[in-house]
Amino acid sequence: MAELGFQVVSSPWTNQELLELGLASCVDCACLPLKAYVGHVQFLVQQGLSLLFVPQVVSLFPKEWTCSVLLGLPDLVKQYVPPSVRLLTPVLDARRGIHQLTLQYLHFGLQWARPSPVLRAWRKAVRAQRTWERAYQAVSSPGRFRLLLLGPRYLTDDPYLNGNLREKLRDLGAEVLCPADFSDATTAAACSLLRKRPYWTCTRRSLGALAHAVPQLDGVVTISPFGCGAEAMQGVLITSLTGTRIPHLELHVDEHTSPVGLFTRLEAFCDLLERKRSG
Amino acid sequence: MKITFPHMGNVYIAVEAFLRGLGHEPVTPPPSSRRTLELGSFHSPAEVCLPFKIALGNMLEGMAQGAEAVLMIGGWGPCRLGYYAEIQRLLLQALGREVEFITLEVPRRPYAPYAANLRKLIAPTRFSSLARGAGLSWAKLKAVEELEGLALKVRPREMRPGAATEYLQEQLERLRAAETAAEVEELRQAARRDLPQLAGRERNQPLRLGIVGEIYTVVEPFANLRLEERLGYLGVEVVRTISLVEWVTNHIFKKAAGLSSLAPLRRLAAGYLRGFIGGHGLESIARSVALARQNLDGIIHILPLSCMPEIVARGILPGLSREQGIPVLSLVVDEHTAEAGFQTRLEAFVDLVGRRVGSLGHRQSSVSRS
Repeated sequence: MAELGFQVVSSPWTNQELLELGLASCVDCACLPLKAYVGHVQFLVQQGLSLLFVPQVVSLFPKEWTCSVLLGLPDLVKQYVPPSVRLLTPVLDARRGIHQLTLQYLHFGLQWARPSPVLRAWRKAVRAQRTWERAYQAVSSPGRFRLLLLGPRYLTDDPYLNGNLREKLRDLGAEVLCPADFSDATTAAACSLLRKRPYWTCTRRSLGALAHAVPQLDGVVTISPFGCGAEAMQGVLITSLTGTRIPHLELHVDEHTSPVGLFTRLEAFCDLLERKRSG
Repeated sequence: MKITFPHMGNVYIAVEAFLRGLGHEPVTPPPSSRRTLELGSFHSPAEVCLPFKIALGNMLEGMAQGAEAVLMIGGWGPCRLGYYAEIQRLLLQALGREVEFITLEVPRRPYAPYAANLRKLIAPTRFSSLARGAGLSWAKLKAVEELEGLALKVRPREMRPGAATEYLQEQLERLRAAETAAEVEELRQAARRDLPQLAGRERNQPLRLGIVGEIYTVVEPFANLRLEERLGYLGVEVVRTISLVEWVTNHIFKKAAGLSSLAPLRRLAAGYLRGFIGGHGLESIARSVALARQNLDGIIHILPLSCMPEIVARGILPGLSREQGIPVLSLVVDEHTAEAGFQTRLEAFVDLVGRRVGSLGHRQSSVSRS
């Protein structure tokens, strides 16, 4: 964005204050990540900016969807910002092909700058994202047992919302794998084990990663926001893939979840895995 | 083959006719009840929405009556409905039930299972019988909807409370038994003649409220705790915005022919919602705007807990309500919804709308009575 000539203000990592801003204004029944998102929006609005970037992420992969809430996100956010703030809402829709995403980004950029800075900005953004992903994957180190952590990335990658789950699992001696460690091609192919391929990208990635990695896993941990439609059915699919071979810990989080309770459950689960292994 | 299918309002009347036309024996599960829901919830993932649980309960009850196959619709998202069937199939399989599961949806690769399903479904019949069954089924669906619509108009005006509902139930039974399109037509004529006679002298014009929301909870009386009847007895004329005939036309015929268009809905929802978000989210917003333009007195929005598209709609409705000047009540239902609390909220809303109409000094809806 900076390359396109904007002065960029971004919100910090999710924290108590941001979440509470979201809880105070967001529609009830909404899932935790949405409430947090609205919190981020409120925080940014308080900084007195004039443009807000809220893309409508329709789809990230051909023939798949993100989720209904993301489809309606810009219109929902509009309800919570004063009219003085203008929303920038490019549509990101890869249903007709993955390259569409690139085109849509470039198209958005061209509304604000000339072609050469747009291309430069795009390349720089892709590089930055790649560096970040690589750093993120490098963190996983070998442990006493191997777990697969499944869930939407806005939850698995937000240490505040998930009670610092990954760190804690690592402290308990687990090597944590994530769907992001596997390529889209791998997870899509592995999903052919299911009779009907899930049409939500996140669920497809999760299940594909699971199907692919089953032989080398000691356990599965799923984390999902309470009330998430796509995740609600995942448990059944996981059971159908793994049967009773692999222990599965299902965590649902909302704004009332306490990190302490979460930690206790993780400890208990890891103890179980240890015992299973030794006996 | 004995085939069972989940309930959705009075659609079973049309589905029965259709399955008979295909040469199968329909096994209609008993009307959805507390027991259905308990049975369904017991075997469902906890967080899945109410329609899933009731539908699973229906299937189990249908199978208890000897069904050998289950008929269900599918889809490709982003609403959960599209994946219902697959999960229900897995759950029934895990229960160890020997049952054929036939899912109707637009096929995607691999095609083989779809072809096999279709062959099973169509095999025992000749084309003429199929066409007759489909025609009868369509006639029945239209008749059901017309009768229900008439009852909505009569209920707030009836002389003896409950008369319209009783008449409706009787006629629906007859409609179910009808074997030819001529009989169906006769029943329609009879209802057009008889139902309005149940209404008393034209009293003060009743309040008019529209219902929008997720289609299953709007259409299935068990899921919405007989919302339409309750409102009728409170003296409210209910205006439906969801029509099953329209739904079948748009989602099955037009989609199959590639003619389905969201443009009219988009135009209505302009400024509030830019397009399709799955399920009935866009419809809820678009129809709400339409209702406000028809000068209705209020809107009731009903959704199952954790329904993603309707949560978005719910977030947008308060703003819409302010700008369009129409009161909106959002009702969330799940297996824990209690009748008393539900009734209280309805009464409070109806009182509020009544008073608002009174203080405005005129009945908004009288401007454009249809």
